[in-house]
Amino acid sequence: MSPDTAAPAGPPPTTEGARPTRAPVLLPLARVGAVVLKRAVLLAMLLALVFLTVELLPGDAATATSERGESGADLQQRRELLGLDRPVLERFWDWMSGLPTGDLGTSARGEKVTDLLSTAFPNTLLLGGLALLLTAALSLALGCWAALRPGGRVDRAVSATATAVLALPEFVVAVALVLVLSLWTGWLPAVTLADADGTPGDWTMLILPALALTVPQVGWNVRIVRAALADEARAPHVETAVLDGLPPHRVLTHHVLPGALPTITAGLATSTGMLLGGAVVVETIFNYPGIGSVLASAVTDRDSPVIAGVTALAGAVITGVLLLADLVRDLTAGVRR
Amino acid sequence: MTPRTWATTALRVLPAAFLLCLALAGPWLAPHAIDAPVTAPYAEPGADAVLGGDQLGRDVLSRLLAGGRDLVLSSLLVAVLVTGGAAVLGTIGALRPRVGRLVEQLADVLMLLPAVLGILLVTLSWPDGGRFAVIAAAVALGVPYAVRLAAGAAAPVAASGYVEAAAAGGERLWYLVLREVLPNLRATLLALFGLRFVAAVYLVATAGFLQVGPQPPAADWALMIRENSSGILLNPWAVVAPSAAIGLLALSVNLAAAALAPQTGRKAVTVL
Repeated sequence: MSPDTAAPAGPPPTTEGARPTRAPVLLPLARVGAVVLKRAVLLAMLLALVFLTVELLPGDAATATSERGESGADLQQRRELLGLDRPVLERFWDWMSGLPTGDLGTSARGEKVTDLLSTAFPNTLLLGGLALLLTAALSLALGCWAALRPGGRVDRAVSATATAVLALPEFVVAVALVLVLSLWTGWLPAVTLADADGTPGDWTMLILPALALTVPQVGWNVRIVRAALADEARAPHVETAVLDGLPPHRVLTHHVLPGALPTITAGLATSTGMLLGGAVVVETIFNYPGIGSVLASAVTDRDSPVIAGVTALAGAVITGVLLLADLVRDLTAGVRR
Repeated sequence: MTPRTWATTALRVLPAAFLLCLALAGPWLAPHAIDAPVTAPYAEPGADAVLGGDQLGRDVLSRLLAGGRDLVLSSLLVAVLVTGGAAVLGTIGALRPRVGRLVEQLADVLMLLPAVLGILLVTLSWPDGGRFAVIAAAVALGVPYAVRLAAGAAAPVAASGYVEAAAAGGERLWYLVLREVLPNLRATLLALFGLRFVAAVYLVATAGFLQVGPQPPAADWALMIRENSSGILLNPWAVVAPSAAIGLLALSVNLAAAALAPQTGRKAVTVL
């Protein structure tokens, strides 16, 4: 997603510097329906792709959990137990039709994938949501701060730092944070201890994982915010506002930011996927009780049904967020695009 | 923006070049064997092991020197394959709108798949795939993003008069792609290659950290971080040194990519 692909359709130019009045846009139901339908179709295609990946690559759940010296008959028996001997299309239909009802299939060890994820996934969503909020707040604040003095020292420092951190893997950031904020200063706990109900024991245990996730994402999003603001600042209605002598921060909040919002939202929405992916990594470091720990044991067992289930859930969440971004874009840009 | 001179560009590319050479030559510089213990587990830095020992008492410095080559080579391979694939697909998409729409649709679908989960999915469904599976998955997941950039750059060239003239003259699709359009995209493709290399370092390192790429006892920076994190209090260097290596590699390559990118391509903020 680049800022110049999403056309910044700003509010119409006004002759006075006053806040542009926008006609209240009621989204026609058909339009919303079309957007929802498009996202749903894309998600269904992704789920089919996920199932086919697991299916078409060599090796299945039965061989993956096999132990040394196990006979072919044992393997065959477990294959039947897991239903792997049935035709692909039949299992595909079972898996896909089970998804809407919350049935994610069976892991290689014979447990329900839904049970494995029922406490872990909400924890990951909490962590990812927190990181998304932090990312949004930080990148908006830094991007606007830089935009107020274009070309100045702050602007250059923010751009340079953003470019530097966006390439850092989350686990490298996490190691640095643990060293500084936990081992050397002792301010924050280095690992997350889960309560009896499987949730993180203390809110301070959320800070380090959320920060480790946020830093690289702020790197991406500050650049998007800054570029979107720069694009919008060239619009004629902004020039008018500046010529009218409005103070810079008012021009920014009332004239530049509204037009840049669709691009910024789209950028943040695409961050959701990276946040969920990064969460898997960060959770392993901090021992956070989310899908990361489930996946870590799935990696040892080479348990692809679990990964397929997690991917299905993540795809659904990302679809939801992208759908929200679509609707925000339509709301702010009007129905005509 | 002031015109950047060759000197400043070279200055930004130099750290990456140095680090890449060091990573490639590292295995020959290692003072000890990477798989034999030389000190006590998590030994503090001493005379025979400058950066101390890891969880099995192996020399951290030797493993650090040996652990970058595969990461760099895999990432380079991924970046070359993704850039090449995206360039060809994007150009075909620009010349043949129907193919272009299909590619766009596929890209839309794959955007819903977090790259890390995609890599886990492929590597685990592909037993004994190891590093090869990671490379295959990273290529498959990288192309959709790169195609958009390539198609965007190819569109104006594909619509230009001389390409239309060649097409009207009955030139075949491959000739148009390889001889008419792609040579004009050199600058964009170089920038794309830099970005994809940065992204590939991220993905290959993350796969190593999740233990789906190189397997122990291989020396690999990401794997070292994972293996030694429980001993971070005893010998921090066993974790800090590979973390710093990955961090510096990512930063310097990113700096170089930004310096090499053409002015027109720099405004496009692409997400991994």
